Amino acid sequence: MKQMKQYREFLVPLVVFALAAFLPLFLKTYYMHIAILILIWAYLATSWNILGGYAGQHSLGHGLYMGIGAYASTYLALEFGLTPWVGIFVGMAFAAIAGWFVGYAAFRYGLKGAYFALVTIALTEAAVYVVSNWKAMGGAAGLEVKYLGTDPFMMQFDSKLPYFYIILFMTLLAVLTAQWLNRRRFGYRLIAVRENEEAAEAMGVNTLGTKINANVLSAVMTAAGGTFFAQYFTYVGPRVVFGEVVSVQILLFAIIGGLGTVWGPLVGAVILVPVAEIARAELGTQFQGAHLLLYGGVLVFTMLFMPNGIVGLAKSIRARFGKTPDDTMSVSASEGGAS
Amino acid sequence: MTFSLPVILQAVASGLMIGGVFALISIGLTLIWGVMKIINFAHGEFLMIGLYLAYFLVTKFGIDPYLTILITTPVLFFVGIGIFQVSIKPILKHPPMNQIMLTLGISLILQNLALVLFKADVLSVRTRYTGINYHFGGVVVTLTELIAFFGSILATLALYYILKTTDIGRWIRAAAQNPTAATLQGVDVRFTYLLAFGIGSACLGVAASLLLPFYYVSPTVGLFLGLIAFVVVVLGGMGNFLGAFVGGLIIGLTESLGAAIMPGSLSRVLTFGIFILFLLFRPQGILSRRQA
Amino acid sequence: MTPLLEVKNLTKVFGGLTAVGDLTFHVDRGEIVGLIGPNGAGKTTCFNLLAGAMTPTSGSVHFKGEDVTGRKSHQMCKLGLTRTFQVVQPFPDITALENVMIGAFVRHGSTGAAERKAREVLDVVGIAHKADTLGRDLTLMELKRLEIGKGLATEPDLLLLDEVAAGLTPVEIDDILTLVRRLNSEGMTFLVVEHVMKVIMNLSHRIVVLNFGSQIAEGTPAEISKNPAVLDAYLGEEEYVA
Repeated sequence: MKQMKQYREFLVPLVVFALAAFLPLFLKTYYMHIAILILIWAYLATSWNILGGYAGQHSLGHGLYMGIGAYASTYLALEFGLTPWVGIFVGMAFAAIAGWFVGYAAFRYGLKGAYFALVTIALTEAAVYVVSNWKAMGGAAGLEVKYLGTDPFMMQFDSKLPYFYIILFMTLLAVLTAQWLNRRRFGYRLIAVRENEEAAEAMGVNTLGTKINANVLSAVMTAAGGTFFAQYFTYVGPRVVFGEVVSVQILLFAIIGGLGTVWGPLVGAVILVPVAEIARAELGTQFQGAHLLLYGGVLVFTMLFMPNGIVGLAKSIRARFGKTPDDTMSVSASEGGAS
Repeated sequence: MTFSLPVILQAVASGLMIGGVFALISIGLTLIWGVMKIINFAHGEFLMIGLYLAYFLVTKFGIDPYLTILITTPVLFFVGIGIFQVSIKPILKHPPMNQIMLTLGISLILQNLALVLFKADVLSVRTRYTGINYHFGGVVVTLTELIAFFGSILATLALYYILKTTDIGRWIRAAAQNPTAATLQGVDVRFTYLLAFGIGSACLGVAASLLLPFYYVSPTVGLFLGLIAFVVVVLGGMGNFLGAFVGGLIIGLTESLGAAIMPGSLSRVLTFGIFILFLLFRPQGILSRRQA
Repeated sequence: MTPLLEVKNLTKVFGGLTAVGDLTFHVDRGEIVGLIGPNGAGKTTCFNLLAGAMTPTSGSVHFKGEDVTGRKSHQMCKLGLTRTFQVVQPFPDITALENVMIGAFVRHGSTGAAERKAREVLDVVGIAHKADTLGRDLTLMELKRLEIGKGLATEPDLLLLDEVAAGLTPVEIDDILTLVRRLNSEGMTFLVVEHVMKVIMNLSHRIVVLNFGSQIAEGTPAEISKNPAVLDAYLGEEEYVA
């Protein structure tokens, strides 16, 4: 019985995703595409959230890890015919190394807040220029995944259905990871680091190690998303998977949905991606950038009127009606902080 | 990829010229950071607004590019205070990351608004100043670069003079050093912040008019120039006026020397590399910390 | 028997300024040792050095017989030396229970065990009824208790208390002193920094007096209260304050 109780927390995500697995029965191809996009961004934002939301280290450079994942699997497939099913893990391994170095360098020298944001932005932008000048990586033109029709071995399908289930499964794993962190020692230590590093250190938390581990975990997960992204769109380019704009998009949904919450990134993506995609589909040919315009507007709106995101807002509404919040992981960012 | 002396000298000359403009762009950013401890990620997009404005004034109304300063500067000043009033002021006391996210949002809006309005085309102007070159023993300097360089220095000196001698300058410096004490002394800190944000943005109006005759404008021009401004500000020490000027020249030199000796756009990697090293090992900047 | 904590010739120099100079003292198991001195005497620096928040310029710290000079804070905590902060440092966005659990995780890997330990500690420090209140919503008195609780949860052999009385009313101070004495009677060793002489005189078995970073006296409260050097140091300060 006790064992059962311990795993009950995973029940909600499992049920939600099991229900989501029936969605393709009701969705036409175009809506399948939107569903896949929602899951891609929800997955990436959930990965970012572990570092940004839980540990409070706001990386503006997660494009670096997404790009590493996307380029690694694509290059290995093109050059050596390696299946992306293996390439995805190679990309994750490279991202782990990169994540460790970035984390070690930044946190060892005590970079926090804006300075950490700036260093990560510089790294992801530097990566853009490195890749743009790297002939084997296709330079500024990028790499195209060789079209093979439906080839499950090479993670390629003509139908959207398999892509949907792959990314659904990946997002489930990411959400389960977040849920797992919510009630485990490592998760509590991430929160402690976010809330008060000095106090955390005094209470036996190895803050440097914790932050580096969070960076590595987040980077590894993000890289896997990069591989999927490359396979789904069959193209990777320097500014498509690296760079500041992609990096901002990765964190956007976590911020809007609710920083440091299990469901925030998914909620943010579910609400925002369809609107943005419709804007892109309807206005895209005439008005390029319409969807990013929308993202910018929503980001500004969120910061001004609901800094704790949608999930945070829902919680405070519930708290106002007398219920105590059961999930206390969200960052309250409405008052104070800046001096 | 030649290392001959003339090439290097040429790169040094061009680097210093553009470095002067980098300095002017960055001084606005460092002023805003120094006074209200806010990193404005939309700084580059403000410059983009200035560039588009100057471009249309030149091409549609035939105004001399350097006379557009009289329009771009006040317009950018009001753009700055408008955006400050609507979006920055309400979150002045919020955590720094919220402020960063907000200004990132503004930069996304402006960048993509430009894309929607003006398309992704890269625009540039030909004026009567275009094509006039001066030769200094093998080194060629264009008139437009020279004007931009000296114009930037003049604008910087003017701003320095304002901050040192006028009441506005005294308020700004007081608010930067100690907002609480400044309030007690009767300085309206919020109003001072507003002014500082406006002045920091107005610098970009000057920079835009100086830059346009030999640069280009596109919706993403602010992305790169904004990042350059961050690099320069960190190099000079956040909030350090003189540091930003020295930093601007250094980054100008880095960019042009890098481009002379490295293939493709790899010089950018060099610039960001310097940035990262400074953030890690000398976040206080090259000069000892001194407020404007 | 080797003392629990042994500090030898501990020195910390900032720039040209000696914050702590050639400090030597020890703490035995089961003791409450007071560390006092006027403002700027180097008490907090000393705490930071012992707890691993700063590295000493020279000298050594031995804990449980082991040389621990230069260890980091989290390492000291794991070894059994935990400090509290003068200015309370709660984790504001999580509950009191979770605040304490962070400490309990030092000795307990599983969430269940850490939670049990944390509830026990909350009970000991008398804020069990506030277990589900967020850190930000606690009163100063509750925060002071939480601060001690966070330290206790790490199950230390030596707890460093930094000015627990600061900001509290006399009645509240008595409550806290009672709590510390009770914990001591149950075997916990304390090193207490305190600015208020009355508090430390009441509480300590033994007192080390600092001034200008160096030890100027050591002894029982009774001895210290008669020591001319100590009286000079404090009189000097009173003049300064006035």
